[in-house]
Amino acid sequence: MSVPLLEVNGLSKTFGSVQAVGGIDFLICEGRCVALLGPNGAGKTTTIRIIAGLLKQSAGTVGFVDGDHVGTGGNRAMIGYLPQAPSFYNWMTGLEYVVYAGRLCGLPRSHAVSRAKELLERVGLNAAAKRRIGSYSGGMKQRLGLAQALVHRPKLLVLDEPVSALDPIGRREVLELLQELKRETTVLFSTHVLPDAEELCDDVIIINKGAIALQGNIAEIRSRYRQPVIELELERDEPSLKWADAFAERHRSGTNVSSQTAGLIYDVSRQGASVRFSVTEVDAAREQLLGELAAEKVRVSRLQVGYTSLEDLFMKVVSL
Amino acid sequence: MTSGAARYFAMAQKELLELVRSFKLLWVPLVFVLLGIMQPVSMYYMPLILEKAGNMPVGSVIEIPMPLGAEVLAQTLQQFGTLGLLVLVLAGMGTVSAERNSGAAALILVKPVSSFSYIASKWTSLLLLAWGSLTAGYLSSWYYTSLLIGEVDASRVLGSLLVYGLWLSFALALTLLFSTLLRSPAAAAFSALGASAALSLLAGVFPKQAGWLPGSLSGFAYQIASSGSAGSDRFGWSLACTAAAIAGSLLLAGQSLKRSASVD
Repeated sequence: MSVPLLEVNGLSKTFGSVQAVGGIDFLICEGRCVALLGPNGAGKTTTIRIIAGLLKQSAGTVGFVDGDHVGTGGNRAMIGYLPQAPSFYNWMTGLEYVVYAGRLCGLPRSHAVSRAKELLERVGLNAAAKRRIGSYSGGMKQRLGLAQALVHRPKLLVLDEPVSALDPIGRREVLELLQELKRETTVLFSTHVLPDAEELCDDVIIINKGAIALQGNIAEIRSRYRQPVIELELERDEPSLKWADAFAERHRSGTNVSSQTAGLIYDVSRQGASVRFSVTEVDAAREQLLGELAAEKVRVSRLQVGYTSLEDLFMKVVSL
Repeated sequence: MTSGAARYFAMAQKELLELVRSFKLLWVPLVFVLLGIMQPVSMYYMPLILEKAGNMPVGSVIEIPMPLGAEVLAQTLQQFGTLGLLVLVLAGMGTVSAERNSGAAALILVKPVSSFSYIASKWTSLLLLAWGSLTAGYLSSWYYTSLLIGEVDASRVLGSLLVYGLWLSFALALTLLFSTLLRSPAAAAFSALGASAALSLLAGVFPKQAGWLPGSLSGFAYQIASSGSAGSDRFGWSLACTAAAIAGSLLLAGQSLKRSASVD
């Protein structure tokens, strides 16, 4: 079992009368890559900023775990932090900035210089190290941000929406870099982009409206919440679409033709010409559906049996 | 060297580099030198200027007594007190708020540095800018005054320079404080200039009751330049009060930054 590193306990934050974060608890274990996932306004950034020490919580504690002891405060030397849109001193060069960051973290000058060179090489900025930061692209700035966050070898790397503001190329660069970094250090990052979380992280914490909706190992969650679905693709003709609406309506009102169907299918949703049936048992439901489709002469162009994705789960959890 | 001091030095070094790269270390002293030279030169050529520019009837004789060198230096200080102070405050108004507004401050303050060393490093660079500019401007004024008008004792120049420098330092401490408290650089400049002007006015209108306020320092500096002594028993009080006010402003700025480091 992995060693706990950071413990967040009953964390809450209110801005005036608005509660941004309402009492969340989680534990980050050493060496894990954890995604803090949630829609915009869920309280991700607030949580991240409290952990980074930029914001004071209204209640609760954040502390590094050292043996049995949970520390409070004084986390800043252990954390490397990168905000959503980092802002540097544009008149400095990339190398100067990382050296500066290193010296602020207490490295002696010569150490800071060698460490900065090493990191810039690492994030692929050594060609641009002597250029002014003002001339950097968004992706380069984000990579510089990673370099400055890593300069003091933090135990925990805290990233706020590391790729949200980037174009596809910059996104790719940063994701690949994170893929490497997560092997060396513990990473906590927030995102509202599910594929990024799936690609990178081991654990997810899904938060919604300031509360934890779901958390755990991503593979575990995927298998635990995986549910069979049947997807129908209809031709866009009037009778077929009408049938779909009518079916959904009957399902909602509980007056389905056969009482059997009601138990098999527990959710129906239509988006354009595709209809999704969440079912409990695939074979029986398929049989029922095919029977009805044939009887109603519905024009089906495709029928697919599959499982809910993490995205479905995410949508379900955050729309509660 | 303790780690806190090392971090302060790193930050102060960065501030100095910024002064150089933003050319503030060039043009602010240049403004002071220009102001300093203009005063003796324009006093020297005043009769000529009036003759050429004024709508005087032909044949009128203009007789203006040449002022004493010490008076010209006092007038130079008055120039520094208006235009010079304005330039310094404008140069320093965004020193904290601009970094906070852009988010650059958040990236620095999230590191294990204290908000007080952050403020102290800013203060160091502002002091260097103010004292460097004042010295350059005042010395060039002294040089031209002695060339064109008359010699002035070095002791008077030095005394008035130190007192006036303290006044500028006080105004910049206010600028730094307001730059930390307020989000808008323009509001910070306005508040700092307003507060300095109000203090000066207070000390000017009620010299007996308000003579110990920092606002009376500029008056004392003029006195020292023109007559050689401050000529008031409140001078010492005023020095002490200013030093305390500067320390108070810096502590307050550091404290407020510490409490609201989140704002970026």
